[in-house]
Amino acid sequence: MKKLILIVIYTIFWRNFLKIIIGLKCYNHEILRKKKQFILIANHNSHMDTMAIMSCMPFRYIHRVHPVAAEDFFGGSRFKELLMRYLVNATLIPRKSANSDEDVNPIKVMSNLLEKGRSIIIYPEGSRGTPGVMSDFKKGIGYLVKQNPTVDVIPVYLDGLHKTLPKGKNLILPYNCRIIFGDSINFNSFDLEDIISKAEKAIHRVRSLV
Amino acid sequence: MEKIILSIDLNAQIQWVIAIILSILIIATITFWIWKKLSPSKLVDEMMLRTKSWWGMCFIFVFASTVNPIITYIGLAFLSFFTLREVYTLLKLRDSDRSTLLVCYLSIPIQYYFAYQGWYTMFLIFIPVFMFIIIPFLLVMSGDTDDIIRSMCILPTSLMLGVFGISHLALLISFPEMNTDNISGKALLLFLIFITEANDIMQFICGKIFGRKKILPSVSPNKTWEGFIGGVISTTIIGYFMGFLTPLNSWQCILISFSIAILGFMGDAIISAVKRDFGVKDMGNSIPGHGGFLDRIDSLSTTSSPFFHLIYFMVIA
Repeated sequence: MKKLILIVIYTIFWRNFLKIIIGLKCYNHEILRKKKQFILIANHNSHMDTMAIMSCMPFRYIHRVHPVAAEDFFGGSRFKELLMRYLVNATLIPRKSANSDEDVNPIKVMSNLLEKGRSIIIYPEGSRGTPGVMSDFKKGIGYLVKQNPTVDVIPVYLDGLHKTLPKGKNLILPYNCRIIFGDSINFNSFDLEDIISKAEKAIHRVRSLV
Repeated sequence: MEKIILSIDLNAQIQWVIAIILSILIIATITFWIWKKLSPSKLVDEMMLRTKSWWGMCFIFVFASTVNPIITYIGLAFLSFFTLREVYTLLKLRDSDRSTLLVCYLSIPIQYYFAYQGWYTMFLIFIPVFMFIIIPFLLVMSGDTDDIIRSMCILPTSLMLGVFGISHLALLISFPEMNTDNISGKALLLFLIFITEANDIMQFICGKIFGRKKILPSVSPNKTWEGFIGGVISTTIIGYFMGFLTPLNSWQCILISFSIAILGFMGDAIISAVKRDFGVKDMGNSIPGHGGFLDRIDSLSTTSSPFFHLIYFMVIA
């Protein structure tokens, strides 16, 4: 049921809306077909980012892909949480790291998902930030990759989507934009700093692919 | 589906034009293929890519212009929409222009609705009169006056380039006095597009073969006097022979093709200058080999409305 809803929303509605009205162009999205499980990392400037990435997912496993969203922003009320769960397929995590035992550890939540064979989409910048500028990555991606070294990490570059729906606006406007998928990253060392700098470099390299 | 196929109604003249277009495409494809076998070069590859895109464009155009007129209007409206989107992507507009941009996009269906209904006066004044007042006022309403004059000038002008000109193509097939027993709007539409695109191609070919003296050295280094004059002469000759599509006599036909050739050159030059200002080579990458939509329809946006009014003046008035 959930799979059907997601297919109707993303592969039918958002995919055509983004392609025809907004003018989104996908490059190199064929690489997703062969993959079974992945961590997808992307730069983040707009709420449209998640829609764009989800609309490129093959419908076979779209229900197994979870965008990770901040609990303090998207959660809050029961209704919002239900919407996020069923319409976006999102998993909500707290943005702070766990200090005491009662707090939920965000890395643990994501690792549990990966253990269940699910794929996740995360934005390592942590928030939408300044339009058109990629800010420094937070440490979360480093911990996640360190704990799950076998899962493929796919870098994605989103170009121009912040113009269709900028931060603080609620009018979606057509604007020619691009989404570029890159090949999965090979990590040589699983040192925290190395992982983060390598991921950052990978997204910059994907940007220059097209 | 059956309804769409049944509504294909081609008179003999339109069938002739489609046959001519197909044979030109086939000849061009074979020529470039042989040329590539004999001496491969970058130019041939580009020409082959362009010919390939021409195939696609011709199929879409012939399909859209021969089936149900509604599809023609929707197709042309989307052409305007894609053109505007391309321009607004390249323009660096202010954040406060966003709500006005929505109004610019919304003017497309309104303009094409007037074209569909054949409301001549409303169609003519909607953009040049109403939108030229509404858009600056909406910009004022947004409250941001920094650099407002740039937006005030750019947004209405973009509508003139992308919507007003192109929508005359739709008016051609709906205007009642142009769809009588002896005039066919569809045939006129075919004539206009065929002559305009032939002009583009002839100017390009003549420029490549004879081009020496630059006509607009600071705007577009590819445009030469030889190409311009050769293009105008050959377009006028082509127009004379294509005259069977129109109800005009041969002198009127020569005059109209001559003015289309000159106006097409003007449109081309205008868009070249705009591109130079943006600092880009092409407006986009939507049509392989040609660039964006506005790169292909640059001359159409300036030829279509004068063509409509020349026909109106010569035949109806």
